[in-house]
Amino acid sequence: MKHEIKKISRIVDELTTLFLKEDTNEIDFSIKILPEQTRITINAHATHFQAADVEQLKNILGAQRQFEVEEYYWQLAGECDDIDHELTLVGAMVDEARVEIKDGSLLIELIRYTR
Amino acid sequence: MIIKNKVVEKELHKEQKLMILMVIPITLLFFGLFLGGPPSDMMRGLTRILLSPTILITDFLEVGGIGAAFVNAALIAFFNLFLLWRFKMRINGLLIAAVFTVIGFSFFGKNIFNILPIYFGGYLYSRYQRIPMRSTILVVMFATALAPVVSELSFAKILPAPYNVIVGVSAGILVGFIISPLSSQMLKFHDGFNLYNIGFAAGIVGTVLTSVLRSLNVTVTNMNTLFLVHNHAITLMLALLFLYLMAVGLYINPGIPKIYKVILKYTGRSITDFTLLLGYGLTFFNMGLLGLASLAYITAMGGVINGPVLAGIFTVVGFGAFGKHPKNCFPVVLGVILAALVIGYDLSSTGIIITVLFSTTIAPIAGTYGLWVGILAGALHMAIVTNVGSTHGGINLYNNGFAGGIVAGFLVPIVDAFRKGED
Repeated sequence: MKHEIKKISRIVDELTTLFLKEDTNEIDFSIKILPEQTRITINAHATHFQAADVEQLKNILGAQRQFEVEEYYWQLAGECDDIDHELTLVGAMVDEARVEIKDGSLLIELIRYTR
Repeated sequence: MIIKNKVVEKELHKEQKLMILMVIPITLLFFGLFLGGPPSDMMRGLTRILLSPTILITDFLEVGGIGAAFVNAALIAFFNLFLLWRFKMRINGLLIAAVFTVIGFSFFGKNIFNILPIYFGGYLYSRYQRIPMRSTILVVMFATALAPVVSELSFAKILPAPYNVIVGVSAGILVGFIISPLSSQMLKFHDGFNLYNIGFAAGIVGTVLTSVLRSLNVTVTNMNTLFLVHNHAITLMLALLFLYLMAVGLYINPGIPKIYKVILKYTGRSITDFTLLLGYGLTFFNMGLLGLASLAYITAMGGVINGPVLAGIFTVVGFGAFGKHPKNCFPVVLGVILAALVIGYDLSSTGIIITVLFSTTIAPIAGTYGLWVGILAGALHMAIVTNVGSTHGGINLYNNGFAGGIVAGFLVPIVDAFRKGED
């Protein structure tokens, strides 16, 4: 798919900005590109997010993938460093999202299937 | 941090959402047939609309009559809703905004002849990139802003027949082919603060095309064909449509009176999809409310509801699903009105009324930076929109989107630079 690597980088950029601004000062990222999917895992250490935040993140990142929104807006992901976050956009760019708090860390796994 | 609110509302299937939207073109169709007179008059009106150059400002209510203009809008709306059904699209806020924008501009600029080449160009782009058409359909719907390119080249007597139609249709296909990558790229200029982003992209494309035509000694001049008769039936029909949207919203989510204020916390910057963030009930209610507010403003100013004003109203209502609410629209609108008063413009004129309505393209600036910056943005918009039309010669219908992009791209970095903060 066109700009696939750049789109993955933008998703990571957006989430890096979110967690560093709103939550923690230590994050680990892992990106694994497979033939049929890309898996992005995020570990935000010593998270301050609560169960309610996790629920919100689950809802918005786990929303249905929207190819038309991705095609039009993907270049906005990671662009803004203040006030707003483009989590709706990230949700539109991934097929599955798992969000949980484990041992004081916020763990997110995002899966983006290759079309 | 606001992410998403917990929403409790009635579950709607995709088909039910489409049916809610389908009421709009059905109403427009019956209204048009009711006011259109005998079928022969209607056909003559539709033919005049199809064969007009449609460049800014060509008011279809004046060119083809009220009946034909409403039937044209209904046909285009049916076509676009059919595409959403055919491609199994999730009915999100952006698609609702796109449908309403296309409907609105079907009263001045878009007809079944001049939009089709752009859709075909979008189809060719999706084939070329090997991506599904459903990925590009949204951009292509908005890209019909440049539909006058097709009509201008086909019917403005620039070229002899049959080359005029061949060149016009080819230009439309080219627009549909290039608009997707271009519109995505343009977002970075204004960072999503200009909701009518395609208007900005189309302004750039229109400027390039017009410059090429002018360098070949082809004259591209603006039109000024306006319907200037007060018609209370149109006002009443619109009021009923917007009340319908509010009623549907209340039916889906009866708790709206208590929770409506939640929407006012959102900045509106792209992408703020209210259907996802707040549910369909609140979204439809907000759309209807913005529609009624637009009607109230126009009535208070004594303005005429004609093609361009209908486009303004429908676009405001559509983007009530994707970023606009009364709180972020008000400062920008106030800025435009104040600037118009200082300059000495007539607030009841169509030009100022549509500037007031379309200026809400930069509502996210007010939503993000507050009242005073919003007023400043509105005033700047007033100054810029009156000057950019000549650069694209009127072939970009979303002239305010072009101006809004310039305002946002200019103002936002400056305001950001002067804001206090560590980052």
